[in-house]
Amino acid sequence: MDSADDPPTSTLALLFQSEFASEEQQNQGFIDWGWLADNFTEDVVPAFFQHIFLCFVSLGIALVIAVPLGILCARYRALYTPVTLITGFFYTIPSFAMFTLLIFIVGFSVGKTPAIIALVLYSLLVMVRNVVTGLDSVPPETKDAAKGMGLTDRQILFGVELPLALPVIVAGMRIAMVTVIGIAVIGAYIGAGGLGDLIFDGITRDFPTLWFTGAVLSTLLAIGADLVFVRIERMLSPWSRRARGAT
Amino acid sequence: MIEFKNVSKTYAGSDNPVVENLSFEIADGEICVLVGPSGCGKTTSMRMVNRLIEPTEGEIIIDGQKNTDMSGTELRRKIGYAIQQTGLFPHRTIADNVGTVPKLLGWDKSRTASRADELLDLVGLPPDQYRDRYPAELSGGQQQRVGVARALAADPPIMLMDEPFGAVDPITRDRLQNEFLHIQEDIKKTIVFVTHDIDEGIKMGDKIAILKEGGVLAQYDTPENILARPASDFVQSFVGGDRVLKRLSLTLVGDIDLEPANGNSGDLPHIDEKWNLKDALSEIIGAGADRGLVVTGGDGAEGGNGGSRGTITLDSIRKISHGSEVPRG
Repeated sequence: MDSADDPPTSTLALLFQSEFASEEQQNQGFIDWGWLADNFTEDVVPAFFQHIFLCFVSLGIALVIAVPLGILCARYRALYTPVTLITGFFYTIPSFAMFTLLIFIVGFSVGKTPAIIALVLYSLLVMVRNVVTGLDSVPPETKDAAKGMGLTDRQILFGVELPLALPVIVAGMRIAMVTVIGIAVIGAYIGAGGLGDLIFDGITRDFPTLWFTGAVLSTLLAIGADLVFVRIERMLSPWSRRARGAT
Repeated sequence: MIEFKNVSKTYAGSDNPVVENLSFEIADGEICVLVGPSGCGKTTSMRMVNRLIEPTEGEIIIDGQKNTDMSGTELRRKIGYAIQQTGLFPHRTIADNVGTVPKLLGWDKSRTASRADELLDLVGLPPDQYRDRYPAELSGGQQQRVGVARALAADPPIMLMDEPFGAVDPITRDRLQNEFLHIQEDIKKTIVFVTHDIDEGIKMGDKIAILKEGGVLAQYDTPENILARPASDFVQSFVGGDRVLKRLSLTLVGDIDLEPANGNSGDLPHIDEKWNLKDALSEIIGAGADRGLVVTGGDGAEGGNGGSRGTITLDSIRKISHGSEVPRG
């Protein structure tokens, strides 16, 4: 597919070349601080926020799918194996292959949509599994007591099971988020934008300032997201934190 | 009053019933202990009262009404429920846990809160100290107190208790049992109490239903009568070889006729009138005497400072152990 008359590939090639303000080709060391200062708000910041947007939208959609699916799997155990197989299959597809498949086989046009679909598919395995694990971790006697006191099934699910499963679900979101931040970089290959644009463009033009900025920011974003989710996890389970503090 | 009428339960795919043709009545304000070896269907029987399990045959009548006359959830909100592992909600504070059923019944917040405080007081947990804690911050015994408080929250006339004092050490269990019996004197609930421990059954029960494997009722009577006249070899072996001693443990020293103390009572072991006859017997034999001096108040064993009411002799204890009528302490 490297042949010049393959239209999608040439579209992709065009995409990378026109994206960023061209640098004055005098090499002033590894990082061209002058270029960075001039183009930071114009090129780097939008790419950064695009990246965050991609990841949050994907994770949000994955959450909306994974929570009901996980609840169903926890209730009707027979579903769990096929669901794990299918989401596990998505998870194993290499990201380049996934993006290419979505465009050349499924027929999406280049852009954010196929990227978001791919990121959602990557998140599902971890998210569904953590919803099920979270629900399974609720002590049976707690559910029994809840039922024995006259809570309805719905009250038990929303008032007891999901709150208790929430830290585990958030732990799943954390893993999914970090994964998705990494994979979204590849999304630039199909025109999804984000920090991957900086990296690909920098490589194509042999301009280290660009790809280095992209790499550093995506790494920082992943670390930052991880820390934020750890914080959320703790916040959502004050009872276990206090229990650890108790003698 | 709770009536079991020919209640049977057989699980789908099994030929053997777990409960078979169970019929008995539990009078208002009484503790009925369901006791038996594992697999005797005692927990199943209890759980059929609030329809956590539905019987295959027969019916359970509560105060003249079939328990199937209302929805399961509605029924359960009217029946207190306490279990061995407590099943406290780990993510809710103690006060919220206790307030679970009142909240379900739509009580307003201040009424629920003051009820929670009242109940924490009742089970010996100062509300100021405990209401805002989480269950995991409490010891096992404290959690079981909260479990009992939560079951009592909406003041249900009936309570189901499945080994509610099971998961604690013997000393704590003994204290919880005593406290609960003390509370029961005031609240007079109709209680179905499940245990595998015959000693706990004898201590807690106004009536004991002994079940054997397959959910067959082996004997249903007062603890005294079961110990005095076991209905079958099964019951006799289940209550144990020490059933005579167990009967003695049902009677308090203060409740029997004592012989007057004569002059040289200085060497006699001191027996507190609040002790039961089994403990008194042990003390007298341990001291190598044939009688003990009964004292009121204070600590009998350490030469109590209370007044003496007379002496209790080994002979009188022996007579009581043979008699069929023992006053209940």
